[in-house]
Amino acid sequence: MSESIITVRNLNKTYTTYERGSSFKDSVKSLFVRKPLKVEAVKNISFEIQKGEICGFLGPNGAGKSTTLKILTGILFPTHGEVNILGYVPWKQRREYVARIGAVFGQKSQLLWDIPPADAFELNRAIYNIPRDRFKKNLAAMVELLDVGEVMGKPTRVLSLGERMKCEFIIAMLHDPEIVFLDEPTIGLDVVAKEKIRGFVKEMNQKGTTFILTTHDLDDVESLARQIILINHGEIIFNDPIEKLSRFFGCKKKINLQTDRSQIDFQLPGLKSLDRRNDTHGNYELDLDILPLKAFLAQADEILCIKDMSIEEIPIESVITALYETKKPED
Amino acid sequence: MIKSAFAVYIQGIKTAIASRMAYRTDYFIGITVMLIWEMVVPMVVFLIYRSGVAFPNWNIYEVLLIQGIFMIAKGISYPCFFGIVWNTIVRVQEGTFDLLLIKPRSALFMALVTGFDAEDLGKLLGGGVLTGICLANLPPANLAQWLNMFIYFILGQGVMFSFAVIMAGTGIKWVGNFRLYEIFDSVTAFGIYPQSIFAKPIRIIISYIIPIAMIGAFPASILLGKPVPQLGWVSLGVAGFLTLSLFYWRRMLASYTSAGG
Repeated sequence: MSESIITVRNLNKTYTTYERGSSFKDSVKSLFVRKPLKVEAVKNISFEIQKGEICGFLGPNGAGKSTTLKILTGILFPTHGEVNILGYVPWKQRREYVARIGAVFGQKSQLLWDIPPADAFELNRAIYNIPRDRFKKNLAAMVELLDVGEVMGKPTRVLSLGERMKCEFIIAMLHDPEIVFLDEPTIGLDVVAKEKIRGFVKEMNQKGTTFILTTHDLDDVESLARQIILINHGEIIFNDPIEKLSRFFGCKKKINLQTDRSQIDFQLPGLKSLDRRNDTHGNYELDLDILPLKAFLAQADEILCIKDMSIEEIPIESVITALYETKKPED
Repeated sequence: MIKSAFAVYIQGIKTAIASRMAYRTDYFIGITVMLIWEMVVPMVVFLIYRSGVAFPNWNIYEVLLIQGIFMIAKGISYPCFFGIVWNTIVRVQEGTFDLLLIKPRSALFMALVTGFDAEDLGKLLGGGVLTGICLANLPPANLAQWLNMFIYFILGQGVMFSFAVIMAGTGIKWVGNFRLYEIFDSVTAFGIYPQSIFAKPIRIIISYIIPIAMIGAFPASILLGKPVPQLGWVSLGVAGFLTLSLFYWRRMLASYTSAGG
């Protein structure tokens, strides 16, 4: 059994914000009186992440995942709870701790807008006190892996989003971090850039780096993550390997069915019609716990006379969407 | 540790200058405008003296010397460390203050390294010229006076740093509020005139409690051979003010809530 690199116990974060309203009247009123609003962003969550893992930390907007990640990266203090990462309590031993982690924020750049990425790398070399030879070796390896050699000397503002994001990864990993937090790392990128970045993450993971990935891009999740933690309304609603995710609501398959006979009145226990292209071509969701595949095939062929078909796993996005909608806050 | 911190700071300066040089015309216009703006107070003093009014026992060059040294103090502190104020305010407002907290250095040091402002060197230039003109028209000071003045001036930089830390700390909680600069200018206005014009309680406050007089008035008074409070007492005042500012910063940092998303 591999060792836990991140341990979180009963983590809670509550903060106060203020209601201002949206009208002009509300704005004027807020100059004198503001109604405080207590927000419980994270509610007693606990989890562990193993060394060498790629963990997808998912949730809808406002679920509490960014707050959790900010606590895990030492940016925020929790209200209460315990966190142990690499033997450190992030908010208490922040400086020592962050020297051993990296972070890429898809919407917050560590590059410097008017000067080339090479200068930003040099500044980070000084900040992390990376020995010159190790810096050169790491930089050369990552520049080659991400294919950004040509952009090193160009001002950041003239780079494409994909090139900039690749350089963000280099900044985050120049100092050989053991854990890297990725917050929406592929947001806005084209397919080619996304693939390059996913390949880079996989390669670094094989070399031993643990990744915590926050994203709304489920292709990132399917392509990279082995463990999934789903958070909603500040609570963890799923924490298991990705294979278990598609089986969360039972063992189901998506079936595309083309038949000789009309499917209009076709009904079987455990079979749910999703959509229909025409009378003889439709998509279904089959619950194998109710109707095993073999029995379904026999009955469907007898009733409809199957012409062609395909059987797929339930798409991860359908499962996640359903999970997001399952647990509502208790008001 | 100090060597490493110095290397980071130098790299931060190089990076800031390289960034600013990307817009050279704007940079030089900015310096010129700043120079004109900083000369407003000395010009007002000049016009007051031309009209025949004067501060008792202070001639025009003596008063302008205070303002010249005050400008030099700002000309050193604004580019070198006062950038922590705007840097913190802007970063907290935009949510990029988080990026300083994921670096293995103190947040204050990171705000300092990434907040060097080359444009503020205009203040140093203006202060140097004004001080030079005044000194050329005043009796020369001896070496002991220069050394003493240098010590008080360094302590004055400590006061400037304390102000910067308090303002930056306030910027963490009081998001997006650039009015802090105006408040600072109003408070430090007490330090650009001869201390003898103020009532005793005010003199005590600006000498020992919020030691604004250390920035320009006392160093200039030393060069002019005028009396200043003893070094020991004012050092204690500066040390207290600095300690208070750092404590305040830590409290504000602990209450940082970051931006959403």
